[in-house]
Amino acid sequence: MTAEMGSIPSEELLAKTAEGDEYAFATLVRRHQTSVLNLIYRYVGDRTMARDLAQEVFIRVWRAAKRYEAKAKFTTWIYRITANLCLNELKSFGKKKLLFWGSPREEGQTRDERSNVSPSAEDLLLAEERSRQISDALQGLPENQRMALILKRYDNLSYGEIAKIMECSVSAVESLLVRAKRNLQEKLIFFEK
Amino acid sequence: MKCSQVQKRLSAFQDGELNPQEQERVSDHLESCSACRERYAEMEKVWQALGDFKEILPERGFYGQLVKKINESNETRFPAGFQWLFQFFSSPWATSTLLIVGILIGTFLGNILAKSDLFPFQQNQAAYSGAAIEVFSLKVFDPIPPGTLADKYMRMASY
Repeated sequence: MTAEMGSIPSEELLAKTAEGDEYAFATLVRRHQTSVLNLIYRYVGDRTMARDLAQEVFIRVWRAAKRYEAKAKFTTWIYRITANLCLNELKSFGKKKLLFWGSPREEGQTRDERSNVSPSAEDLLLAEERSRQISDALQGLPENQRMALILKRYDNLSYGEIAKIMECSVSAVESLLVRAKRNLQEKLIFFEK
Repeated sequence: MKCSQVQKRLSAFQDGELNPQEQERVSDHLESCSACRERYAEMEKVWQALGDFKEILPERGFYGQLVKKINESNETRFPAGFQWLFQFFSSPWATSTLLIVGILIGTFLGNILAKSDLFPFQQNQAAYSGAAIEVFSLKVFDPIPPGTLADKYMRMASY
């Protein structure tokens, strides 16, 4: 059943989901969970919060499946739900205080790993440190700039698609990206590759 | 193209969002201008560095937890045994139909309940003198004149 579902476009899977087809919903979640999770993770910088919010996105997809209009691409639609959750409703979740990268527990794990002298572990730590620096820089960007930049850099969406997702004009997206890139250059000025 | 014009469009150039003519003009400028080329190189360096932000994978129980949350939220939103009722009311057609039925019932009840003692002189004008009819007519200047929607509402509310 799931193998058959694998070749069905997401829009059709959503239509089946609206009829209560749980297999279709499961396929839809499996297909889009990584992209939704990572969009949120890059935006909020916290794994646990990203997981909770990604699940919230899919709960909304399940509930809103009947209201979906086939005019919009499914990916645009689900990204709009995600962006809306991140940009407009995150504050009302009362979790804004969690908007920093890495919980104390994650930092603790890093220190434990650091005491391990294996060279590969050291490489991993360096990569993780680099990732953390980038995350910090992203978290320092204003919310709209951060969202536009993530959608462009990691999801490789066009300005037109980003504009639809963020419900603004294409020129506004361009302006957001110009400012985001300028800000990032300042923040990552000491970043040596 | 001037450096200031090029630098304004560098971001869109990097993202491949310019039209072919503009893309070519910026590209030509970059070949001949070391300052803009340097600026673009810095932009590219940051763009590449962003690639080091690694992707994470969903945890194994992601879908299971999701289904659990959906079931929990359904139980909270719709008490057991009444889910069909909430699903029925969530349909726009059902809501519109109920609204129309509500208006019709309200109008019908309004007419029935407010009719009994409304304008008694109109129902039996012969029994009233001309003066009495004039007095009734002056009621049109009342804050809530008889026979108006507000009057019907007040009458219904007083039942």
